[in-house]
Amino acid sequence: MLKQKFARPVSVIGTSSLPQRTFDDPEYKDLSVYELWAAACNQAMQDAGVKPKDIDKVVYSQMANFVTCGNVMAPVGSLEEWAGLAGKPITHIEQACAGGYLAFNEAVNSVASGKYDIVMCAGIESPKHFNARNQPAYMLQPIQKYDGWWSPGRALFDTAYSRFDGVSDNLLTEEQGKYYIKHYGIDEKTLDDTYNAMAINLRYNASHNPRALARTPYSEIAKKAGYDDVMAYMRSKNNPKITQYIRKSGSVLHNVEAGAIIVCSSDIAKKYQDHPITVIDHAEVSNTQRFPFCFHQMNVDVRDALYGGQDNFNPDDLDLMITTVMTSGEQLDSAEVFGYLPEGEGYKYELDGRTRFDADKPINPHGGDLSFGHGFGCAGINMLSEAIFQMRGTAGTDQVPKPVNDVLVRGMGGGHTTVGILLENQD
Amino acid sequence: MYKLRPILKPYYDNLEKGKILGMKCADCGDVVWPPLPTCQKCGSTNLDWIDLGTEAVIDEIRFEDSSVAGDYTFRKADEFFVSKEPYCICIGHFPKGTRQFHAALYGVTEANKDQLISQLPITADAEFIQLDGGFKSVGFRVRA
Repeated sequence: MLKQKFARPVSVIGTSSLPQRTFDDPEYKDLSVYELWAAACNQAMQDAGVKPKDIDKVVYSQMANFVTCGNVMAPVGSLEEWAGLAGKPITHIEQACAGGYLAFNEAVNSVASGKYDIVMCAGIESPKHFNARNQPAYMLQPIQKYDGWWSPGRALFDTAYSRFDGVSDNLLTEEQGKYYIKHYGIDEKTLDDTYNAMAINLRYNASHNPRALARTPYSEIAKKAGYDDVMAYMRSKNNPKITQYIRKSGSVLHNVEAGAIIVCSSDIAKKYQDHPITVIDHAEVSNTQRFPFCFHQMNVDVRDALYGGQDNFNPDDLDLMITTVMTSGEQLDSAEVFGYLPEGEGYKYELDGRTRFDADKPINPHGGDLSFGHGFGCAGINMLSEAIFQMRGTAGTDQVPKPVNDVLVRGMGGGHTTVGILLENQD
Repeated sequence: MYKLRPILKPYYDNLEKGKILGMKCADCGDVVWPPLPTCQKCGSTNLDWIDLGTEAVIDEIRFEDSSVAGDYTFRKADEFFVSKEPYCICIGHFPKGTRQFHAALYGVTEANKDQLISQLPITADAEFIQLDGGFKSVGFRVRA
C-alpha cells in the first residue's frame, strides 16, 4: 500500500466525462459550453451521491474562456448557477493544458488543508469554436474566424525575450525524439515505426471507447486506402510527417471537453461512494526552454518529487499509466522516465502492441490525446476521470482486463508545466 | 443520470416569437429566469419550461443615464444594442416567477423618475431588445 502524503487523507467520490466531440457533431447540436458544463457537474454530483448544497468549493479550469466564450472574463458566477452552485467559493485555474490537473490538485489541497470537506473540480473547453462578444454562447463560429486565434508557435512564444518557448515551433515534438535517438541508439526509422505503432495502439484503444473522438482503427483506414499492411499506410504520404519525426497521426486532436471530479475527506468518503479512490500524492514543476530537453527534465523532476516520499515503491508495480501525449515522443519519454516502461526499451513495447488497453503494460486505455481527444484546460480532468473509471472497473469496453489498483496520471501543459498524480484503491 | 439538452437556443428562438421562457422545478416549484437546468433552490435537475408571459412587476428603479459612460475602458453593456434609446436598470420579477432579476427598463427619464419610483411596484411590458449580433434580449418598458 502506498503512503498517502496529505495531513488529512483525501478520496475521490465522483466523476463525469462527457463524450469527446466537436460542436459540428450532431450529438452536440444546438448546445453551448454552458449546457455541457451543467451536464458534467450534475453527472459528477449524481455519481458521488451529493447535491449542490453539499459542495463546499469549486475549482474550475478553462484556458481559452476569453477567446472562445465571447470575451467573457471569469465566468465563474454564471457557471456556478448553471450547476446550482451559486454562492459557493470558486477558483479559476488557467495554466494552459496543465490546468485540469492543477484544478484537481487544488481541490485535493483544499480538502487536505481541513478548510473544506467536499470540493468539486470541473473543466470546460471549446478549442474549435467560439461565440462572438455580441452573440449568445450557442451561436458558434469556427475558430478560424477568430482574429488572432492561438497557435502553439505564437501563444506559447516568450514575449519577454521573443524566444522560442513552450511548444512553439515544435520544440516539444522534436526534442523527445532527438533525446531518445541520442541516448538509446535507435535509428530514425525505428523511431518512426515506434511512433506509428503508438498511434495504432492508441487508436485501437479508442476504437473500444465510445467517448473517444477518433474511433476508426488505422487498420480499417489503411484498408480503405488500399493498404493491407497498416504500417505501410502509416509510413505513406497518407500520413505525412509534419516535423522531422512527428507524423500527422502523432499529433494531438482537439475537441470540446467537459468533465468534473469530486473529492472529499477520506473519513466521510464511504458515506457517499462504495468505491472511493485514495489520492496518494501529487507533484508539479514548471520550466522553460532555456535548457535543451526541458520536457524530459520536467518529467525527471516530477518523478523525483512524487516518488521521493514513497518507501519500497516500485513503479513497475503500477497497473496503469495515463499520460498526456500531445505528440508521440511525450508518451514514450514519460513512460520511461516514470519507470512504467524500462529505460531505453519502451519503444519495443509500442512496436509489440504491449501498451494497448488489453495488453500487459496499458497506457492511455481511452486512446490518449492522439485519439481520445484533447480540450486544453479540461484535458487533465478527463484524463483523471479515465483513471477513476478504470480503478472502479467501470470504464466499459476499454476496461483494462485486470485489477487496476495503482495508477499514475501524468500530464503536461503549455510546454511549461508537468504534473504527476498517484491514485490507489485502498478500500 | 443527467441528460444534455439545449437551453439557450430554445430560449432565444422563443424570444423571436415574442415568448419569454423560464424554468420551473418539478420538485420544489422554484421558477428561475433566465432559464437554468439546475434548480437554484433545491439543486434538482428536474426542471421544465414555463411561459412567463410578457408582463413583469418592477420592484425598484436604479436611474442613471445609460448614454453617459466612464473611461473608454469602462463601457456599458448597450454597445451592441441596435437602438441607442437611453434606459436604466431595474429590479423586477415575473408574476409567475419566484426570483427577482436585473433588466434594462425603458421610458424612465429625469422628468418622470420620481413619480414612477413613488408608485413602485409597477407593471411594465416586455421590450424585446434587438442586438446587432442578430438576436433579441429581454428588457422592459414602463407604461405611459
